[in-house]
Amino acid sequence: MIRLSDVRKVYRTRSGDNVVLDGVGFELAMGERLGVLGRNGAGKSTMVRLISGAERPSAGRVERQMSVSWPLAFGGAFQPTLSGVDNIRFISRIYAQDFERNLAFVADFSELGGYLREPVRSYSSGMRARLAFAISMIIEFDCFLIDEIGAVGDARFHDRCNHELFGKRGDRAMVLISHDPGYLRDHCNRFALLHGGRLALFDEFDEAYDRFREAIGLAGAPAIDRAAARDRAALIEVAQHRALADERFRMAVREGDWRRDARDWAAAEARYAAALALHPYQRSYWVQLGHVAKEGGQFARAELAYRTACAMGEPAADVAEHLAFVVARRGDDPAAWPIHPYRKGVAPLQVPGAPDVEALARLLWHGTAPDEVEAAALLRASPTCDALAAAMVRDPRFGDRGSDRVSVDWSAHGEIVRVLALGHLDPDAADTVLASVAGGEPAWPSIRDAGAFRDWPATQGALSE
Amino acid sequence: MSTAPRLRDSLAVQGRVLHALLLREMLTRYGRHNIGFLWLFVEPMLFTLGVAALWTAAKAYHGSDLPIVAFALTGYSSVLLWRNMPGRCIGALWSNLSLLYHRNIRVLDIYAARVLLEFGGATMSFAGLSVLFIALGWIDPPRNILEVVGGWLLIAWFGAALAITLGALSHQSELVDKLWHPASYLIFPLSGAAFLVDALPSAAQEYVLLIPMVHGTEIVREGYFGSRIHAHYDLGYVLPFCLALTFVALFAAQWTARRVVPE
Repeated sequence: MIRLSDVRKVYRTRSGDNVVLDGVGFELAMGERLGVLGRNGAGKSTMVRLISGAERPSAGRVERQMSVSWPLAFGGAFQPTLSGVDNIRFISRIYAQDFERNLAFVADFSELGGYLREPVRSYSSGMRARLAFAISMIIEFDCFLIDEIGAVGDARFHDRCNHELFGKRGDRAMVLISHDPGYLRDHCNRFALLHGGRLALFDEFDEAYDRFREAIGLAGAPAIDRAAARDRAALIEVAQHRALADERFRMAVREGDWRRDARDWAAAEARYAAALALHPYQRSYWVQLGHVAKEGGQFARAELAYRTACAMGEPAADVAEHLAFVVARRGDDPAAWPIHPYRKGVAPLQVPGAPDVEALARLLWHGTAPDEVEAAALLRASPTCDALAAAMVRDPRFGDRGSDRVSVDWSAHGEIVRVLALGHLDPDAADTVLASVAGGEPAWPSIRDAGAFRDWPATQGALSE
Repeated sequence: MSTAPRLRDSLAVQGRVLHALLLREMLTRYGRHNIGFLWLFVEPMLFTLGVAALWTAAKAYHGSDLPIVAFALTGYSSVLLWRNMPGRCIGALWSNLSLLYHRNIRVLDIYAARVLLEFGGATMSFAGLSVLFIALGWIDPPRNILEVVGGWLLIAWFGAALAITLGALSHQSELVDKLWHPASYLIFPLSGAAFLVDALPSAAQEYVLLIPMVHGTEIVREGYFGSRIHAHYDLGYVLPFCLALTFVALFAAQWTARRVVPE
């Protein structure tokens, strides 16, 4: 039995006290596996360190009536300047274990071979993880603390870890932390959400996860450094990193992954689309979206997604086969509509994707977005953003209705409009124009007057017609 | 945790932990290359030999008719003893933070291991050089070995308590590290290594005897040279001093242990 009673942990920082845990309490018995959900920085790792005894609570009690491991797969519990063998020797001495037997086990499990005699600092991160996990398994604790085990290593290593932990040691108590709630769902029988310094306990994963969603949904968008995305190429580049740093994005794609694994294609597509609405230029999940749309029989949407992924720089070779399949299923000749390969350079020469169609429709078509069939046709026919904008200007829906006020969600599309139509302005000036539109000024006239599409020859040609 | 373990088991765990930490410390510090852990006492020996050679060459004044080699051996070895322990304990926790994940390893153990290692190195160096110099006929054997041992342990006690105090405080403030270096150099000439208290004017003696390691050095020398010198020391001052410093050390270590945040 492990019992935490009213545990409080406060860190003193230069900017005042930081209360990480504020009255956390629970009991954990043999055979119970507690999965702890929580946002980044919620204090999950702190709680694990308090349970392990490496750190003391500021107030409250941590009682252990069973032996508790150090946080598993945690590489820091050994000395990087020593060899793997010397580290095993040290741990064996501390815990009064048979060194030879431990060495044999670690050598077998970690498959490090001769590297065991080299200093740990020369290991790759995967090798360290294998050594750390193997060393963790040589001591038979009653309770294992597992902090982010899935972060490194290949699938086979994970399978072997899972077998050691949940197979051979399934009768023990465990506390698990993971960025992947699915891992907790699959391996835990009790769940908790750590939020705002408080720990809420649940018997069912779904209940805990719903509360977790709420906690993340309440969080605003992360602060975005707009200066980092001066033009469309830079915006595409930072989108990969921005998206993965955004908990809302990660949560949506994770849910998409679960639905996909459950072969619920429509729901998966909806979740991926929700994620990509937050970060439209994130390429790899456009591929995922294409896959689930294809599986769900939504071939036009699949084509749109695959073309978008390539436009954002996903290697065409990985997508070509899937794209050819969906084009054929739509009754067209794939050879007639090849992929427009990703191109660097200025915005008008880059290849457009679905987010560009949508942003331009909001700007030029008074917010009437084309459906997926029309959008896919536009992408097929437009090798460059310039060609796309020109085609959309020539469309009858484009009109110079000066009094028209369009309600536009500028949060995601505003940035795209900026790098497309206002790429010639410096970011501050462009932001001023966009702010005036968001404030209710007529969209297209404002942006036109700011010199929209200045260096886009085809679009300028279409506008002057 | 709630069932009180028996003292014998606790001592066994304590012994195991210190043993493992000592071996680990020797390995990380000296490795397996060239002479390996022999550096533990070869290094202080080289220091002492160098200082002895310098003082001999400079015919340093020390206020007695003792051979300068004997004077340097007893004086500089004492300095190494009380000075190296704090030097090794300051900042020791930072490089060993990850060890705290093993619950049997406590903050005090990390300091204790380093103190023991330094004590071992300095003692082997002192003993080894004594034997060497005696065998060469440069100095006479100590008159009273037990008194030498007593004085030596007194310096070690003081050094250990100082080391743990400064080590624990250094984890909270880097000022400790910055101030220790100048402080240790400034105290060195006042520590009794380079003079006999008897040779000082009586007004100065009073103040010099406020410095605790002076007492230990005087005892060591009295043990070594017997009635050839007139030693000044006061156990009634230095023992309570060390005892009080030990409480401060344990308190500081406990205080740091409560605040330490492992990686």
